[in-house]
Amino acid sequence: MEVHSRDYRARARRIITETPEVREAVNNATRTFVDHRREAFADCDENALSGWAEGVKSHALTHLADYLEEAEARLVERGAHVHWAETASDVHQIFEGIVREHGVRRVVKAKSMLSEELGLNPFLESCGAEVFETDLGEYIIQLLGESPSHIVGPAIHKSLDDTRVIFHERLGTPRDASPETLAKAARGLLREAFLTAELGVSGGNFLVAETGSIALIENEGNIRLSTSVPRIHVALVGIEKVLPKWADLSTFLQVTAKSATGQPVGCFVSIIQGPGGSTGGEPDGPEELHVVLVDNGRTRVLADPEVWEALRCVRCGACLNICPVYRQTGGHAYGYVYSGPIGAVLGPGLVGLEEMLPLPFASSACGACAEVCPVRIPIPDLLHVWRQRAVERGLTSDVERSVLGLLTAAATRSRVFGWAGKMAGFFPEWIVRRLPLLQEWSIGRETPRADGPTFRELWDEGIE
Amino acid sequence: MKRPEQTVRPSVNSGTRASSEPKHERGQRVSRDARERILNRVRAANRDREPVSHPGPLPEAAEPPGPFGEAGRADPVGSFESCLRAAGGEVVRLANEEAARRWLEEFAGGFESASVCTGVPDALHPALPGVPPSEAALGVSLAVGAAAQTGSLLLSSKEGRRSQLLPPVHLVWVRAEDVRTTLGEALQACREDLPATLALHSGPSKSADIGQILVTGVHGPGRIIAAILGAGGVRS
Amino acid sequence: MRVSLFVTCLGDRFFAEAAADAVRLLRSLNVEVDFPENQTCCGQPAWNSGHVPQAREMAAHTAEVFADADYVVLPSGSCAAMLRHAYPRLLESPAVAERSYELGEFLVDVLEVTELGRGLEGRRLAYHHGCHALRELGVEEQPLRLLESAGATVVPWEMDQECCGFGGLFSVKAPEVSVAMADRKLDTLPDVQTVVSADGGCLLHMDGRARRRGKRVRFQSLASALWEARNGGA
Repeated sequence: MEVHSRDYRARARRIITETPEVREAVNNATRTFVDHRREAFADCDENALSGWAEGVKSHALTHLADYLEEAEARLVERGAHVHWAETASDVHQIFEGIVREHGVRRVVKAKSMLSEELGLNPFLESCGAEVFETDLGEYIIQLLGESPSHIVGPAIHKSLDDTRVIFHERLGTPRDASPETLAKAARGLLREAFLTAELGVSGGNFLVAETGSIALIENEGNIRLSTSVPRIHVALVGIEKVLPKWADLSTFLQVTAKSATGQPVGCFVSIIQGPGGSTGGEPDGPEELHVVLVDNGRTRVLADPEVWEALRCVRCGACLNICPVYRQTGGHAYGYVYSGPIGAVLGPGLVGLEEMLPLPFASSACGACAEVCPVRIPIPDLLHVWRQRAVERGLTSDVERSVLGLLTAAATRSRVFGWAGKMAGFFPEWIVRRLPLLQEWSIGRETPRADGPTFRELWDEGIE
Repeated sequence: MKRPEQTVRPSVNSGTRASSEPKHERGQRVSRDARERILNRVRAANRDREPVSHPGPLPEAAEPPGPFGEAGRADPVGSFESCLRAAGGEVVRLANEEAARRWLEEFAGGFESASVCTGVPDALHPALPGVPPSEAALGVSLAVGAAAQTGSLLLSSKEGRRSQLLPPVHLVWVRAEDVRTTLGEALQACREDLPATLALHSGPSKSADIGQILVTGVHGPGRIIAAILGAGGVRS
Repeated sequence: MRVSLFVTCLGDRFFAEAAADAVRLLRSLNVEVDFPENQTCCGQPAWNSGHVPQAREMAAHTAEVFADADYVVLPSGSCAAMLRHAYPRLLESPAVAERSYELGEFLVDVLEVTELGRGLEGRRLAYHHGCHALRELGVEEQPLRLLESAGATVVPWEMDQECCGFGGLFSVKAPEVSVAMADRKLDTLPDVQTVVSADGGCLLHMDGRARRRGKRVRFQSLASALWEARNGGA
């Protein structure tokens, strides 16, 4: 998966100026999520829930090795295959083995951000398999050849008409088809895929160590089908998804659903302990279950004393929905699978700060995200850590360093500072417009008026 | 450790282990090495870190109250009904098996065929031609539990999954005494003897991915009916 | 009671009259106000953008300037938050941190004044909650109480707590997004003549955008609005 975060400003500008309908669509979708989330938590003790959830996740992370081994042992006992993968390349090799051994020609995929991280679809296609994204939003963007724009709703940046157009082109539905007709067309085509695919691929919302359970939350039923109908099911699970106990699961399912969409719980939850079919002594279900435990940078983040808390993330998307910066563009401006506030703090840890710049700066640091995080990730603090590191590593612009150097020099010399304030009132606007960095102010805004006395002067004259 | 088998394909280069090893064996070796390295890195990462204790069970006062409202925790069946209906599901309460049979006969009249999960008692089978799940108009299940807090039916893969998923309409029998108050309690009741997949169904399949407009029956059943047995004869 | 005024760098240059109003207001409440002349900038622009050594220098300077102050009052929510929340992380036990207040917060929480007068009778205004004052200081009710008790109608504004997009250097590092955020605020503004806020950066940013768009709304510093409340329409 390629990272395009360095182009954040240009991509954001393009989205805002060239496709204002995207901004509208994202604004409407996120506002709806925010309203539903607020309603869902209205009668809850949000403080108690987030404090508890933070504690469980931090406990899981600080005891992660033991819990991973426990989960593995439980899964192996039930006949599942457990694989470990450090990199995307490792994951590709594991899949290649499965595809070749079983002659897989068709794959049905449930939505998995991790699979995006790993560039799985292009790899499967290179192995000669046909890949069907089965989550409706993912299916739409697959048809469009786009990447997901939001962690929970991959197609929130697309309008009804966008979907009508692409479905008309590719599925032959009427140009003015209703949403029901479009959904029915997708259902028919994907149902055929479910019934004929040899392999189903999913992610994993949680991995319960005590029972070796993989829990998956959804509304459509495509995850239930992808993990039940094909002969083989492969679940990709980031190692940070661990929950220690069976008893922890119910609250996390509810809190994640409420945070993401405002529902008490998703319409369907699959809690998977092992293979079914003849292997599991059941009437149907996959004969083989493979669980791939994926690192892909997570151990690097875990080792980082200032950033590891970001691994508590349950991928609810609440921080994206509340973020006033994300709301102006949607996810594509960020150029990375995880966008918005969590993308800006997790990305640099998983991939590296240099590649992910300027994402930690793509924020006004308003703090709204921290108020809605169900596991209390201190996102504004983490943004600040990355900003500090960017400066220390010399990754910020010379202009910025110079400007702040000048400010500091003046601010520690009060006479100079007072004089500078006074002088700024004499600079004609056209000079200010030419100063680097400051000139960006003129994009869209009038220069502040600086005529009249400074406060210092007023004080010296005496205030009545 | 098992020796790599000879591959059928002739080796092209000088027979290094990598090229003669079957791909799936190589995958397993990669995985074993990765396992050691990942676990070592995880342990190293946590070595100097203050361990955080598990906070214990969620305090009861912090449980999301969900639909309890007026019905309260004392009436799990009533709460379950209001929660599932709020999500677009249908609920019918049947005092006893006799009432169930009468209701079923009327209900089944609207369908041409059915696929019934194993373990559903004969008395609760609709009198409809049995067809494979992918062709049936109606799927019938027997839940292993339910949770009022989230309006969830708990379904086991031991009864077969396809009938729970492929037909467009899903009828789920559940006994009133199996309806628990919280989701945690319902899951705890299943803790011993977990099936390959324990599924929660809490409403009809839906999606708002098409222009933020809600549609139902996208992949899973678009109608779900919970028929509660032994629930005080109040028919909805 | 005696307080020291920290006018802030933006305040000194762009909101001089508003800061003078703050002085007048405090004096009218029998508070003595002094102005340590060596004050400069709290260091927030450096801190927010990750330039910590520079932030520390400016913080040290400021802490020294206000070392003897009983109270430090600022007509700026974000600068007050800087002193209260960031200074303890930058300096060893800075006394100034605990003694610093945003103006509206000071009036209600320390002076325990909630009624200033009726100088805002009949005024319809909208209030913009600056992010730092709201989320770091927890200042939410205080300015509203003061404005409403003076006769103003604070008109409901669904986006009143959403970030305006200033964000310090963010305003010039991602200007298109910053301006789009200002537009979101302006597009949802109810029908009022004035927007009041306790943050200079927010006011300059939204005012700059409104003027570019030809939108006729006045952006007023909280200090000036409160002096008007006390003194009658000036």
